[in-house]
Amino acid sequence: MGDDVTIVVHVPAGSGAAQITTEIGPGDALRFGRGAPDTPVDLVLDDPAVPRLAGEIRATEDHWKLSNFSATQSYLVENPEGAGEYVRVAPRRLGAPVPFEFSRIVLPTRTGPPVSVQVFAPSHSYGEAADFARLGGAATLVAFSLDESATYFLVLVALCEPRLRDLSTAAVPTTPQITARLRRHPACRDLTEQAVSFHVDYLARNKLRVKNNDDAPGRRMDGRREALVSLALRFGLVREEHLALLPARTAGAGVS
Amino acid sequence: MSLAHAMEVPVGYLVGDWEVTEPIAAGSWGSVYAARHRGPAGGGSPAEAALKFLSTAGLAPRQARQLAESAQREVAFSQEASHPHLIRVYETIEVRDSDREELDGAVVLVMERAERSLLDLLHDAGGPTAGPVPDAGPLLTQICEALVHLHDSGWVHGDLKPGNVLLMPDGSVRLADFGLATRIEGTHGYGPPMGSPDYLPPERNTEPLSERGVAVRPSLDVWALGVTAHQLLSGGRLPFPGATAAARAAALHEYSTGRAELRLSPELPDCWRAIIEDCLAAETERKPRPTVQDLLPRFKAAVAAHPRARARRHRRRMLVTLVGTGTATAAVCGYVFALPHFSGTAGASGVDIRVYNVEKGCLGNTERLTNCRLGLARDPGKPYEVSNVLDQRVWHGDTLVADCVVYGATRIADEYGVGSTNWYRVKVPGGEGYGWLSAVRTRDVPAVPECERPA
Repeated sequence: MGDDVTIVVHVPAGSGAAQITTEIGPGDALRFGRGAPDTPVDLVLDDPAVPRLAGEIRATEDHWKLSNFSATQSYLVENPEGAGEYVRVAPRRLGAPVPFEFSRIVLPTRTGPPVSVQVFAPSHSYGEAADFARLGGAATLVAFSLDESATYFLVLVALCEPRLRDLSTAAVPTTPQITARLRRHPACRDLTEQAVSFHVDYLARNKLRVKNNDDAPGRRMDGRREALVSLALRFGLVREEHLALLPARTAGAGVS
Repeated sequence: MSLAHAMEVPVGYLVGDWEVTEPIAAGSWGSVYAARHRGPAGGGSPAEAALKFLSTAGLAPRQARQLAESAQREVAFSQEASHPHLIRVYETIEVRDSDREELDGAVVLVMERAERSLLDLLHDAGGPTAGPVPDAGPLLTQICEALVHLHDSGWVHGDLKPGNVLLMPDGSVRLADFGLATRIEGTHGYGPPMGSPDYLPPERNTEPLSERGVAVRPSLDVWALGVTAHQLLSGGRLPFPGATAAARAAALHEYSTGRAELRLSPELPDCWRAIIEDCLAAETERKPRPTVQDLLPRFKAAVAAHPRARARRHRRRMLVTLVGTGTATAAVCGYVFALPHFSGTAGASGVDIRVYNVEKGCLGNTERLTNCRLGLARDPGKPYEVSNVLDQRVWHGDTLVADCVVYGATRIADEYGVGSTNWYRVKVPGGEGYGWLSAVRTRDVPAVPECERPA
């Protein structure tokens, strides 16, 4: 379903830039590059190998397009969850559509690690295929677009697992517990606690838009994880059948 | 709903006192079959009904329970909010049939049987080139009546769209599918975060989600009513067009963020255009959507103006009229308001109404500057031009006395493009007789009756 935020752009700290996170809606654009007094850019990537005006990210409907303003360099857009999937955007290519929900634009540098910009497209929609083909926007849909093959969905299932298995009010697993649980999944061997925290944050903020009315600052993360679990179960986003997505529980190593 | 899926039920199958006769519709939400009553005659049961089968096969106990609860909510809702234009849900039955695994445990809603839906009607009408569907106006008025009843009873439908509006053999309308109906307490209630994307207002996209669900207000139905009206009056066109759902969502986003104007179908009769524009207000503080109670008299007036909704001929005539006025703000309804008969006798009492001038430099300025003066119309049905403005002017902050209101007359837009076709009849300050103040020139919503229409 459409969301007012089409894409979220995140430039990690280091890599020649200060950390920036910004959200834009359909039709909006962000220009990036090294920048110069006569060439202002929205995202400054301070590396001598990056052109002053390197490119443009434009939110379009539920996805985004990349323009490469460099005359000589190709940019790679990688899907960090896609086992090596990437799109190569040739020099001077304008408005190349990017199909990934999670992307990393990689710009070459002369020395050191490449500069990268992360772009998330949380508005990608997933729906009941048969209904949607027949009725289009007249089909009654759940207002969530969750990719059941994404890592964030595994994190959500892992969060819900104790309640799904026991139907009790068991505590919601902590970030270290989820990380340990998911690392046994072949696609998540390198999963870090930081990445799990990111996915929890992304789910709460961009996918389910959880209202945070938990005022106690110490309980903030807890309250949010709690809210994610009860929403996901109440509205049937995570069901018993999804437990099959998690790695098998080995004896003595289950989530307590 | 999302948990159920289509299922096959053989003709002749018995559920309670009902025998399945033929399939009607199927989707991922379940399947609907026609059935006839087989029990002893009488007892208030109709001879025929529609059975909606919601499968619980493959669902965990928790989801099956949710489905049964949702079905019971529909029955409770139907009994509580009974109205001639709401489909009746008689009972729910749980199928117990160990021989048929797919049917075992299914939840069946027994409902009043309709002939077809407005969606079928739109398909049959032949698409966007066909113009308004026959009797679009009266159908919309019936839908509005049903919503007035719902909202007065403290409920919001939550999923209004042509597919959920059914037609009975006598041509009367029934709202159906109360799966998302939400009880309102105070200004809003909380409902499941579900809906039909093309019929959801822009605020749904930014609404945060709490554990109780998403905030639901009556204005949700008003938006969906505006979209439905646009479709019925333009052969099915959506007000925010696009080839894909994402393109339509983007068009809606551009409008709701103020970057694009509302561009409704040129097919629309002008009276209806003004109404639909108000239903599709982006719901800012500056311009709230009208309530369904406000809309009902305007729907009736529009029906009176376009008994058969013959859009094309009317439109051509209107264009000629507009060229003459020279102002883009005048879009007369072609209705009896155009007659100068309103300057009749005064109502017994009036209600205070404060003049509001949004223009920069005039807002809050009480010095009565020439640039800030506002006019009162002699006749709200005529174009707002010099010959139709009283000599006596009014300024921001003046208090006038209003005694009645007309809907759907000449449209006036303020300096920010916010428009209204509503006018209050006010006593001329320091003078005699009456003038008309456009509703864009006040922030008050005085409780005054609709002005009597000239015979």
